[in-house]
Amino acid sequence: MAEPAASTTFAEEALTHLDTLYRGALRLTRDPDQAQDLVQEAYLRALRYQHSYQPGTNMKAWLFAIMRNLFWDRFKGTRKDNVSLDDTGDFVLYEKLKDEGARPEADVLDKMAATEVVAAVEKLPPLHREVVILVDVEGFSYKDAADTLGVPIGTVMSRLHRARQQLQKSLYDYAVESGIVRASGMRQVPQ
Amino acid sequence: MMNCKDCETKLDRYVDRELSATEAVEVQLHLEGCPGCQDHYTFETNLKRLVKDSCGCETPPAFREKLRQLLT
Repeated sequence: MAEPAASTTFAEEALTHLDTLYRGALRLTRDPDQAQDLVQEAYLRALRYQHSYQPGTNMKAWLFAIMRNLFWDRFKGTRKDNVSLDDTGDFVLYEKLKDEGARPEADVLDKMAATEVVAAVEKLPPLHREVVILVDVEGFSYKDAADTLGVPIGTVMSRLHRARQQLQKSLYDYAVESGIVRASGMRQVPQ
Repeated sequence: MMNCKDCETKLDRYVDRELSATEAVEVQLHLEGCPGCQDHYTFETNLKRLVKDSCGCETPPAFREKLRQLLT
């Protein structure tokens, strides 16, 4: 059993990673109340098992692993729904906009509403969503993401690639629905 | 000399800064001479930034304080 002072120090250090855990929990559960419950449970578990943390290693990744394992246990049952994403082809949004003669990097992405981007991320299957959260939102290296998720680096790369394809497809659908681009004829609508 | 297909297969890792220094230089040299791949790279980078910015949020202060009292 850790001394109270040591335990407090551990907790204080762990709390410096709270934003990362909360963002991850929020995107995984898609519900602020469930996210708070998940994060609180993860911290309590981390404190209980702090002896298994090796000082000097990546505490953020260790905490995130506890949180996402709890998510899979409590919110999704013990089995991961290994939903495969349809192969949408490479670079859906980019290719479609390029075909239109639009300047995708300058014009279209700037018009994407943050809420729609979040919705596109939250629409991803959880196994793909968590890779996007770790690598794109939190800036984890492929290796840290692989260690956190308990999968090989190649799996991180393939899930990330598929997830990004799917994100582009969702954002393209949004761009069409919202009039940022037209579905066919494909010329950008001036604003 | 890298071609566009080779560049495309390495673009994710280049955007994520996961290539070795040698591979990164090869991609960089290709991008400097290929406007199409450069546009593509810019798009992928901007999309990654858009996802990060859009999904960024901070912990609600009341929850942070509750957790702090619970744990320390």
